[in-house]
Amino acid sequence: MKEEILKGLQKSLRDYDQEGCVAGAKKAIQEGVDPLRAIDALTEVIQEVGDGFSRGELFLPDLIAAGATMAGAMAELTAALKKKGLERKSLGKVVIGTVFGDIHSIGKDMVSTLMTASGFSVHDLGIDVKAERFVEAVKQDRPDILAMSALLTTTAKEQKVVIEALKREGLRSQVKVIVGGGAIDQAFASGIGADGYASTAPEAVTLVKSLIGR
Amino acid sequence: MAMKGFIRKFKPLEILSEEQFQAIHKATLDVLQNVGIRIEHKRALKLLESHDCQVDYGNMRAKFPPGLVEECLRKCPSSFRVKARDPQKDLIMGGNTIYFGPAPGKQTVNLDTWEPREATRKEAYDGLTILDALPNVHFLPSYTPYFGFEGLPPVMRIPEICAAKIRNSTKWFFDGYSNDCEIFIIQMAQAMGIDIMCSMLASPPLTFYGEAVECAFRMAEAGMAGRVLPGGVCGATAPVTIAGSTVTANAEILAGIVLLQLMRPGMRIEVKDFTYPQNMRTGSPAFANIGVSLHGVVFSQIWRRYGIPAGMTTAYPSSKIPDFQCGYEKAIIALIAALSGINLQLVQGAIHGELTHHPVQAIIDDDLVGMIGRFLEGVEVSDETIALDLIAQVGPIPGEYLSKEHTRKWWRKEQFIPQVADTLTYPEWMKKGKKSCLHYAKEKMEEILAKHKPTPLTESQERDIEKILEDARKFYKEKGML
Repeated sequence: MKEEILKGLQKSLRDYDQEGCVAGAKKAIQEGVDPLRAIDALTEVIQEVGDGFSRGELFLPDLIAAGATMAGAMAELTAALKKKGLERKSLGKVVIGTVFGDIHSIGKDMVSTLMTASGFSVHDLGIDVKAERFVEAVKQDRPDILAMSALLTTTAKEQKVVIEALKREGLRSQVKVIVGGGAIDQAFASGIGADGYASTAPEAVTLVKSLIGR
Repeated sequence: MAMKGFIRKFKPLEILSEEQFQAIHKATLDVLQNVGIRIEHKRALKLLESHDCQVDYGNMRAKFPPGLVEECLRKCPSSFRVKARDPQKDLIMGGNTIYFGPAPGKQTVNLDTWEPREATRKEAYDGLTILDALPNVHFLPSYTPYFGFEGLPPVMRIPEICAAKIRNSTKWFFDGYSNDCEIFIIQMAQAMGIDIMCSMLASPPLTFYGEAVECAFRMAEAGMAGRVLPGGVCGATAPVTIAGSTVTANAEILAGIVLLQLMRPGMRIEVKDFTYPQNMRTGSPAFANIGVSLHGVVFSQIWRRYGIPAGMTTAYPSSKIPDFQCGYEKAIIALIAALSGINLQLVQGAIHGELTHHPVQAIIDDDLVGMIGRFLEGVEVSDETIALDLIAQVGPIPGEYLSKEHTRKWWRKEQFIPQVADTLTYPEWMKKGKKSCLHYAKEKMEEILAKHKPTPLTESQERDIEKILEDARKFYKEKGML
């Protein structure tokens, strides 16, 4: 029975069926499936999607749909985990978001999905994220990595604002900061004092692994 | 007198049936009337509201009645002149004429490693000298040849490149806008007595940012020409289908046209397709994807019908070096554009997308453009070209045509003679070191730089331009941007 629920959950993710996936997660919790097992089952599928993307068999629309489908179910499952006082083991914790004033989500979503697929636990703050919100998430989540995206030249400088805010709060040394997005290059990243920059989503995964020594 | 360009002497390629055209046209008006366009500019929204558009100031959205859209379309001239520094290089846009211009790049490339790097000031000016000399470069677009050069602060890029274009070429050009720089672009155009267009670029889906609209007001008030572009990426900021993305692109452009015609009735407007499919692996525009051509041919057909001069999406290659891929990508896109009856097309010089440009590539591409231009001129059929008398006179073998005056008179008109293509025989080719068009183009670049001197500005013109640049620097310093 529990195996069937998990298989159904995986199928709904493979089909990018957002409602089905949330319903599957709820059902798993109701039927007493260990939320950790349900998360592992979803991660397995996301890894398949990530691998398919790397092999050039799956494309951006797949990656975005898979990420969005998984997000709803993950919200249910992590809430259930919290209730039990449990936490998921992962390669590392990542807080990610598109900076204040910028509403571009695709690049950030790609990175978020591929990081999840690679075994990181990702807290996605979404788009148009103010510096205070990033700082708050770093305080609360104590992530290994803070990842920021900016597509516009006009919003790129907001990444610096966040880094400065982290310094003011005495949090800068506790977290590795990586930046990316259409408006960013290595020189800019170094200039604002980021720990790393990647020009593509798969590179971002490699970068994070090297930064935290995995 | 005006720049000659190429005149297409046969029917354009059209791929939409009447029914398909009507369906797209109707859907476009539907989007304008029922979905509306977000226009982040209060003065523009007020202007639209006073002309019966339904305006929601809360979400800055305007809905356009079809009658207003059609009335504004009728106000646009179907053909018009834009003045260049050299009056013989004015463009007359519209009709069967196609003008080609270079495809700019953010940076230049190293010719040995093909890696991108920022151009120096000298390279930017030399690049313009080459473009001034190339016979099939009829005008210069914005950001040409590079988006800037070493040591330039970002806000001064467009003004400095504008000044460089004025100094090193007498050809007509248009420009971009950013951070109010159009103020200084207009001043430079006025100082030179030339026409300028700054692009009013939509931020799809269905949005114009305030900056684009402010630039449009400034252009209209200065009596300059207007240029409206969509800018969607199919599958990201526009529907993934050619038909759907044509609807959103045209809705964005038509909203721009309505605004411009309300600002200044009868304003000269050129529209340009600027739509790429999305590279579904990277999220970047899929440069040189065949979708560019399909979208462009449909665009060309519709805007010819609307009676407004139109340009097609730039023939940017996806390749990184001037190789086979670069060649076929440019050739297919540029040729299809020309056959579609488009009026403006950017081709020469781009190496990868809008990221890199090099004069050597521009020289190679100039041959491609010349070849296409010759094709557009079609076949002259007259008693003289049919040459019945001559055929009778020459008769069968041992008759020949090489010694005839008819051959001497006509061969240069019938053929196109490339400047740098390899056209040697095998023995000659081997003897001369097995050179390719790339080698010849490098030699040609050196030759042009040694011989071609762009017409310099007069002392007072140079003073005017430098003063305007100085004013721009002051303006940005005061704003804390420099």
